[in-house]
Amino acid sequence: MLDLLPEPLKAWLGPDVTFWLGYFTNGKHIAFFVSVHYTVLAALLGAACALVFGLMGAALWTSRNPWLRWPGAVYVNMVRGVPDVLFFLFFPLAFEQAMEWMRASAVCTPEAAAERAGQWPPCPDANIFFSTYEYLALACVSLGIVYGAFAANVIAGAMRSVPRGQLEAARAFGLSARQVLWRVHLPQMWIYALPGLSNVWMLIIKATSLLSLLQIADIVQLANRLGAPNFSRSAGLVHGDWRWGYYLVLLVFYIGLTFVSERVFAALTRRASRGMAIEGAAR
Amino acid sequence: MTLVDAIWADVVALWRPALLNIYFAFASIPLGFVLAIFVALGKASRNRPLSRLASGYIYAFRGSPFFIQLFMFYSLMLALNLSVWKPLGIDTIVLNPLVLGPAILALNTTAYSAEIFHGALMAVPRGELEAARAFGMTRAQIFRRITWPNMLRLAWPAYTNEVVFLFHATALVYFTLPVIDGNADLMNKAGELFERDYNALLHYSVTAMFFLAISLCIFLIFGTFYRHLMRHTEGPKRIKFTTARL
Repeated sequence: MLDLLPEPLKAWLGPDVTFWLGYFTNGKHIAFFVSVHYTVLAALLGAACALVFGLMGAALWTSRNPWLRWPGAVYVNMVRGVPDVLFFLFFPLAFEQAMEWMRASAVCTPEAAAERAGQWPPCPDANIFFSTYEYLALACVSLGIVYGAFAANVIAGAMRSVPRGQLEAARAFGLSARQVLWRVHLPQMWIYALPGLSNVWMLIIKATSLLSLLQIADIVQLANRLGAPNFSRSAGLVHGDWRWGYYLVLLVFYIGLTFVSERVFAALTRRASRGMAIEGAAR
Repeated sequence: MTLVDAIWADVVALWRPALLNIYFAFASIPLGFVLAIFVALGKASRNRPLSRLASGYIYAFRGSPFFIQLFMFYSLMLALNLSVWKPLGIDTIVLNPLVLGPAILALNTTAYSAEIFHGALMAVPRGELEAARAFGMTRAQIFRRITWPNMLRLAWPAYTNEVVFLFHATALVYFTLPVIDGNADLMNKAGELFERDYNALLHYSVTAMFFLAISLCIFLIFGTFYRHLMRHTEGPKRIKFTTARL
């Protein structure tokens, strides 16, 4: 990377600066910078999943049919008592085991299964190894499940906040129940849901720091590896324990993400509240 | 082994680790509570540098993941080990997860609680403060008789939620800190049980039940105290759980 700098600039920077520039752009550090994409992907896709799960959860929870309402209520309220990290670990594990169980029933011979009784997977052929991106997809779905319950709460509240007069007017115009829902109720719901959804987004961003728990070599894991005391036989101790410095950088990175998100949501709220008769609406 | 036996075996295996999560929460909550009051007062202070400092602290700790904070402080303590803790002879205390864990949890909950208390502080009825001043109360008297009780009442429901979230955050401590003397917590033990027979559904469900039960206990205790705080008022005195850690 350092070769890309023109010679005069290098001379002007001096040997110390160029050394550190070189050090912080070596292959390992480039991999570290690139691994940010796992975090960003997980946040964006996780948020998309959470929105889908949130809409479905809210629809179930507010349904008139008790057979739909009860599962919805359990789903929405479950996250109140159980930490997110537990779901985050459990869902990928359970999914992997379910896949292996399905494969085992197809590929395992009774003899092979009997040999490994009480072990998992039932036979070696049934073992599934997920790639990093498959784990990332699973992580996004788990984030979606956990934070979907939070989003469902927000969306259900926002649906209740839409003024009754709007819905009554729509009905008086002769719109069917379906049309009222899709053309009046849902579009107006967003502005009431935005502050709550912004909170959920902040939670999702912070939860993306847990990706390393699913064997994804994300920024947290690479920071740990890069900062760990580095000892080589030829050069001796290259550097001591620098992990806290790398984690400090991550801390600042996340604070920056929060800062940017706040600004974006403030702009979104301003935009979405144009012409709406609510507090703080842009006129 | 029937299902009931299997569940009971898990309950027996997990009750002691559950005590560790409770310990983490209860060691950090009092410290966080006291610090949060000071940080909230600092943020509300007219002294600009002090107010900026308190706001910055709150923003930094609320804007970054607890998981990273854990890693950051743990590795910082490790890096200072040879130069500071060892010569002072306190390395076994400072690096003990039973000390370091609650300390980092307290730093984290201080920020979230301070934001709650600051909001409550801003909502203390102005008329009551003016009346107190008209009575000739000193600033200390005003704080003790008007500001403090009002703030506590206004903040209590949100603070209850914060305590539950803090309890949930204790699940993360041992993903970073080392387990010593077999003092595993719920998530450690659940992982251990899982690796024994790969029954994820059973072990994680029982673990979830532990978290759920203890969360409900927290609501019950804090709800009872809230009724005590609001005993002079009429109307419902129930705490509503908000799903966002504000």
